[in-house]
Amino acid sequence: MNIIIVGMGKLGMTLTSQLSGENHDVVVVDINGSVVTNTVDSYDVMGICGNGSTVEILREAGAKKAKLLIACTGSDELNILCCTFAKNLGTEYTIARVRNPDYATQTQFLREKIGINMIVNPEYETANEISRIIRFPSVASLDSFARGKVEMARIVLHSDNPLCDMQISEIRKKFKANVIICAVQRGNSVYIPGGKFELKREDSINITGTRTEISTFLKQTGVYKHRIKNVMIIGGGKIGFYLSELLSDTSRNIKLIDSDPARCHDLTNALTDVSIICGDGTDQAILDEQGLDNQDALVALTGIDEENIVVSLYAESKNVKKVIAKVNRHSYSILNNIGLETLVSPQNVAGSLVTRYVRALENSSGSANIQTLYKLVGGKIEAAEFIVPQNWAHNDETIKEMNLKSNLIVACIIRNGKVIYPNGDDCINSGDNVVIVTAGNSIKELHDIFKLG
Amino acid sequence: MSRRATVSRNFTTSSNWGEILNYRKIFNNLGIILLVEAALMVLPVIVAIAYREKTILYFLITMGFLAATGALFTHMKPQKESIYAREGYITVALAWLLMSLFGALPFFLSGSIPNYMDAFFETVSGFTTTGSTILSDIESLPRSILFWRAFTHFIGGMGILVFVIAIIPKAEGQAIHIMRAEVPGPTVGKLVSKIKASARILYAIYIGMTAVLVMLLYFGPSHMPMFESITNAFATAGTGGFCVLNNSIEGYHSHYAEIVIGIFMMLFGVNFNLYYLILKKRAGQALKDEELRWYLSTVAVATLIIGLDLMFTKFSPADAFRLSFFQVSSIISTTGFSSTDFDIWPTLSKVILILLMFIGGCSGSTGGGMKVSRIAVVFKSSARSIRKAVNPRSVETIKLNGRPVDEETVNGIIGYFAMFVLLTAFSVFIVSFEGKGLDTSSTAVFACINNVGPGLAGVGPSGNFSHFSLLSKAVLSFDMLAGRLELIPVFMFFTRYMIPRKTS
Repeated sequence: MNIIIVGMGKLGMTLTSQLSGENHDVVVVDINGSVVTNTVDSYDVMGICGNGSTVEILREAGAKKAKLLIACTGSDELNILCCTFAKNLGTEYTIARVRNPDYATQTQFLREKIGINMIVNPEYETANEISRIIRFPSVASLDSFARGKVEMARIVLHSDNPLCDMQISEIRKKFKANVIICAVQRGNSVYIPGGKFELKREDSINITGTRTEISTFLKQTGVYKHRIKNVMIIGGGKIGFYLSELLSDTSRNIKLIDSDPARCHDLTNALTDVSIICGDGTDQAILDEQGLDNQDALVALTGIDEENIVVSLYAESKNVKKVIAKVNRHSYSILNNIGLETLVSPQNVAGSLVTRYVRALENSSGSANIQTLYKLVGGKIEAAEFIVPQNWAHNDETIKEMNLKSNLIVACIIRNGKVIYPNGDDCINSGDNVVIVTAGNSIKELHDIFKLG
Repeated sequence: MSRRATVSRNFTTSSNWGEILNYRKIFNNLGIILLVEAALMVLPVIVAIAYREKTILYFLITMGFLAATGALFTHMKPQKESIYAREGYITVALAWLLMSLFGALPFFLSGSIPNYMDAFFETVSGFTTTGSTILSDIESLPRSILFWRAFTHFIGGMGILVFVIAIIPKAEGQAIHIMRAEVPGPTVGKLVSKIKASARILYAIYIGMTAVLVMLLYFGPSHMPMFESITNAFATAGTGGFCVLNNSIEGYHSHYAEIVIGIFMMLFGVNFNLYYLILKKRAGQALKDEELRWYLSTVAVATLIIGLDLMFTKFSPADAFRLSFFQVSSIISTTGFSSTDFDIWPTLSKVILILLMFIGGCSGSTGGGMKVSRIAVVFKSSARSIRKAVNPRSVETIKLNGRPVDEETVNGIIGYFAMFVLLTAFSVFIVSFEGKGLDTSSTAVFACINNVGPGLAGVGPSGNFSHFSLLSKAVLSFDMLAGRLELIPVFMFFTRYMIPRKTS
């Protein structure tokens, strides 16, 4: 697919890396020459240096025949302009990053009248992701499949967890919960565990199941955490604002700390049911004063990664149940090892959203039939949901008989609305939804799960 | 004091650590290249079979060596895939060196060139598309050896690594570093998003144009035999200049062949990206290219002056301009074919030819020399310096194709120009120890470093390079590689990246 990406900021880079990795023909446009050179050096893409919201540069980038244009420059207005131009030049689909809350209410207009197919607001999506984690606090992250029928949760095994030093096959016998452990992350490596795989302390595991079953499993293993009532948010930027809004509709106590008096004033006007504190939220004295000990959750959302990490580590030491930190430089692999359970980064959240959209476009044009796709652990694990096509040649063949790739697991099958947790004797039939989890392979259609030849 | 010392040592060790090259990946790539060279030798083997020549054995032995070494290298699995600019440069430099070392074997083993150093010189001259030869009687060699000699031009013209990028199943984005190190010119752009597709387009254009030339020579009124049409087309396409006749193109006594080859030499000196634009029906944009205009006007002006100069000596106007155009096209594209002995031409004409050697073809072509766009930038930059001396407050940027060239690129080009001049001067100095004439010593270096082929006097169209000493041949071989790979990759070997240092 021919894709043009305008604006090589953090999001642009993330998208370039993902989309060129999926073998699309990508053209990147940025006004800064050295940024373009950098991108072309690292990824197999073509670079054009110039203002991406001029017709001339868009023509040069091939907007006439491109299938998709993604505008993610720093300016909302430029992005909208760029998409409008591209659309008129002949680009089939356009995606714009628009993050000013003032425009957030106009997405429908932008979609219907201006013809921008998708509006991405990384800050809002990040806030949404954080709010989902806070609503289900036992897990480090949560993704859903089959319109919420099945969820995939990630939990970290602390030393007191009974699962430590247990083999996967024993776990099923002992707990009888209907969940499947489909991926294990240990240090910087990712494993798709077999029955003999033994879990260790500090492993982070991904489990799939319905939400109630996951809850049961978590209660049995003692990981379950109670509902979060008191939330402290550090940093009243866009994410902080959206998050307060998303959480404030339920009966929670939300405390938002920001150091800029003017910003605090604006926030009080815009938000209700949120207590707003003006002060330096990265100052230990202020955190203590504002009762960090009594908080159920702390969300660190300042603009500086280091401060977010330090504040989160402090909160963990104070036994705050749920600590979430925002980091922009998600690519540093050491971040997985410093003991923070939940890290979110806006460009990854937005990046996977766009990648999902691109895959959906491919579905509509080709034979692929991906429903949803999640990239976890910095893209090392992929969880994809497929609808099994009508011409599927492997009906009534059990999973044991299939010649599947290694590092791949059939996490669950949804047949007629019922969730099946497959073992070797189950089969995959036409019309089923299946969730496949892989490490290291990229699965674009269901046939990719088989070994070649 | 002691504390400071520790800190600084920590700093140096950590920076060294960061600069360690990805040797495994380099050798893995080199292995692939050697295997490809072994595969390419199938063609001369076919020629040997067709003409029932005994040389087939020597090609098979060389292929065996190549395959064994290649297999050994590819056996080395890289621990990490990432390569950077420095790995790209070193891969390219080592690849060309190894290819030449192995490529010389058929010449040496078959006894066509009894001395290995001579065979190496001839092969380097072939791969770098120089066309300088140490042979005096070419026509007596077996056909398969002559074919391999011309085929090295064709392989070296577009570059073997570009070829490898075009055929290997998955080229990473970082392969751009390799392409950049091998494709001539100050800036290398891709034609399309995928580097593999770009490399394929380049090769498709290259092979397509060569095929057209073969047809024109074979079916045209020159009645060139098929074998010679192909070898001459290879030498023209790579802008090399090895001919199967002792008297080069003059030996055919065909005006038709001279004109066709003259035009094609010029065409192969043009940036291939422009042909892609023409294929995409954007010919207007291609013809507006500033480098192309400089190139064509240089050809026109040089042809005119030399033509007039020849007319005033003894040639008829038609002959004067035919010979002038052929030689100008041959020298500026750095092919090095000759349609007459230009060593007996008047001094003015010879000086113009020497100047053309240094200008060379356009960037992104198969030609050598310093490249038209670099010369254009050097000119513009000099003019700017003069204007700046007159009016120190003036601010201006250098533009090429109506777009500003950023200062870093301008500085790089001026640095390249300086390095080129220094290397030329140094090489002339070494070669002059031989005690040969000034014109022989200097033009031998000019012809090699610019990948032209013949020079003047002792190395002119009627002479050859066999009379030089071992040292001079080594220096000239180095110059040819340095000129073809545009200095930086071969100079990398003299930097501290390549010298393992003991850190205490």
